[in-house]
Amino acid sequence: MSSTSPSSGEAPSAAMLTVFSERRSDLLITAREMRAEGVVSLTLADPAGAQLPGWTPGAHIDLLLEDTVRQYSLCGTPGDQHSWRIAVLLDPGGRGGSRRVHETLRVGDQVAVRGPRNHFPLHSVPRYIFIAGGIGITPILPMVAAATEAGADWQLYYGGRSQASMAFLDELAPYGERVTVWPQDTRGLLPLDLVLGTPAPDALVYCCGPEPLLAAAEQRCAAWPAGSLHLERFTARPQPEPAAGGGESFEVVCQRSGLTVTVPPGQSILEALDENGVSVLSSCQEGVCGTCETRVLEGVPDHRDSLLSEEEREANEYMMVCVSRSKSERLVLDL
Amino acid sequence: MTDTADPAGSRNYPLNCWYVIAASDEVGRSLLARHALGQHLLLFRTADGQAVVLDDRCPHRAAPLSMGTLDGDRVVCAYHGFSYAPDGQCVGVPSQRNVPYGAQVRSYPVLDRPPFVWVWPGNPARSRGTEPPDLPPLREPGWAVLGGSLEMAVNYLLLHDNALDRTHFPYVHPHRIHRGYVQDPPPLQIEVTETTVSYRRTFTPAPLTGWQHEATGLDADREYTQRETGTFVSPALHVDEMDIIGPDQVYRGVFIRAYTPVDAARTLIIWRAARNYARDDQSVAGRLREVYEGTMTEDQPLLEAIQATTGGAPDYRVSAAADAAAIRAYQIVEAMLAEEGGRAFNRWHGPRRD
Repeated sequence: MSSTSPSSGEAPSAAMLTVFSERRSDLLITAREMRAEGVVSLTLADPAGAQLPGWTPGAHIDLLLEDTVRQYSLCGTPGDQHSWRIAVLLDPGGRGGSRRVHETLRVGDQVAVRGPRNHFPLHSVPRYIFIAGGIGITPILPMVAAATEAGADWQLYYGGRSQASMAFLDELAPYGERVTVWPQDTRGLLPLDLVLGTPAPDALVYCCGPEPLLAAAEQRCAAWPAGSLHLERFTARPQPEPAAGGGESFEVVCQRSGLTVTVPPGQSILEALDENGVSVLSSCQEGVCGTCETRVLEGVPDHRDSLLSEEEREANEYMMVCVSRSKSERLVLDL
Repeated sequence: MTDTADPAGSRNYPLNCWYVIAASDEVGRSLLARHALGQHLLLFRTADGQAVVLDDRCPHRAAPLSMGTLDGDRVVCAYHGFSYAPDGQCVGVPSQRNVPYGAQVRSYPVLDRPPFVWVWPGNPARSRGTEPPDLPPLREPGWAVLGGSLEMAVNYLLLHDNALDRTHFPYVHPHRIHRGYVQDPPPLQIEVTETTVSYRRTFTPAPLTGWQHEATGLDADREYTQRETGTFVSPALHVDEMDIIGPDQVYRGVFIRAYTPVDAARTLIIWRAARNYARDDQSVAGRLREVYEGTMTEDQPLLEAIQATTGGAPDYRVSAAADAAAIRAYQIVEAMLAEEGGRAFNRWHGPRRD
């Protein structure tokens, strides 16, 4: 065997950057089932049968589809470390990811997957109110199973366009009266006034579904103790103001590495850090996945993500450096 | 739950997790006492071979049950003869006819996956349907395995930090490493999931170091490509894989370290090292044992001194780029602790512990 060795002991400085990535794997589609009108579930497993990394209810994975990345909640059993399940709603008006899943992916195909990660974790409390709209049932499904195992008291309110469009009703049936199925065509919108009308200090509310449902839940929970409502959004929160302040430059001080970086207008903190050799783990770069969350030590961030709650924004403790900017001239970050 | 050994607040390991409590061959038909996971535990096997873990404390007058005897599948307390079934239920009190209501020893979910016995110290309901990490080299044919155990006066997170860090090797283990550890950049490819962190790197070709040459029989004068991966699998487990790309095969060594916190300042390390080469060669086994044990005992004085300086939980002023994997592991542990405590009402981060 002949091989060359580097004659110089010095590595190029560019190679000294730490490259963070999420676990990426090619998984085999082992089952594909229609679960409701327009909803297909895929079961994924390691092609060699190896154990998959663990996850907890509320976790999601990225499905890497040629030129697009789509995020899907894991809706199988967290304890099952040999297969994962996702469910995908066909969105004819969407960006094409769901159509690709529905039309091209078949049993025996391999798909590239990244993750899992969890920004919608289930906390241990004695009582839960779960609210799901449409395909938003997917993260809730393992949550109700976990709540049941933990002996917690819970109710699920599950709305959808019509009964036929609502996936996993068969798997929810054994829970009996804990589950309220609420098809819009026969019963109208979910009765949130009834469900969330009276704050319950010992309960947490977990809600996943389309933006109007999330907004309605946020509004109804305003009178609840801070931190009671947990939401998951898969699309960016509509931005009320058009990137105000995006024209200002500001300074970011990386406390741990001792580096100070100027973030010019039009460049994100993430990009400015990256150019200066500070690599922050990031994924979606649109403020929805939470991968780049960074601790704020000083200064006032201009939060533009879709993840942090109002309370968390005010706490000024963490920020998503991919989209958020600064209201103060200087931000000190735990980097 | 109450922690007998950890003062409130000092526990920094999650309870809802499988930990290796013993090697499978340590647990048999006699009563074994083990202080771990903040508890005094009792381990034994029933007549049909089921591993059992109970609290090592009679509910009556707190005598360690491990001082008693095993009568069939019943544990009989040495002090007053109270007897307990394998599920912890009191089944007999010699001095009275009634079995006291509620006289029960806590039992723990156990999974015996040789060579390890795993225990779940947290909420038993949360263990249902879960499995400890799968370790194929310890159960598949084609591997030779050696191992042992030791205890260090070190918090378990410091051991994870040490295992995820390769930049201390030229300083602490200079005679055990090949040139790549000095010349090549530290591991920069870090891969994360919700529950795991791993690093990987491929070294530029380099000559083997002495023990590698002796163990593999590969040519001492040639250069070989090597790669390594290290994974924080769970708070209970770190796995390293080290490959030498030989002309005929990949010489793989898998170093598995189970970290089981004894209390906030001590950790039980139960380790196994699997290799896919020289499987029947006892001199190779002996040489590798010296390497693995030697590496750990070289770390020990430094780690114990750090423990004495910081007093337990990570308390660092500065991190380097090469610490990225360890920092990520801390974040995973922090999220698990926050979730268990029901404290993190604000999504996934726990209260600041600094």
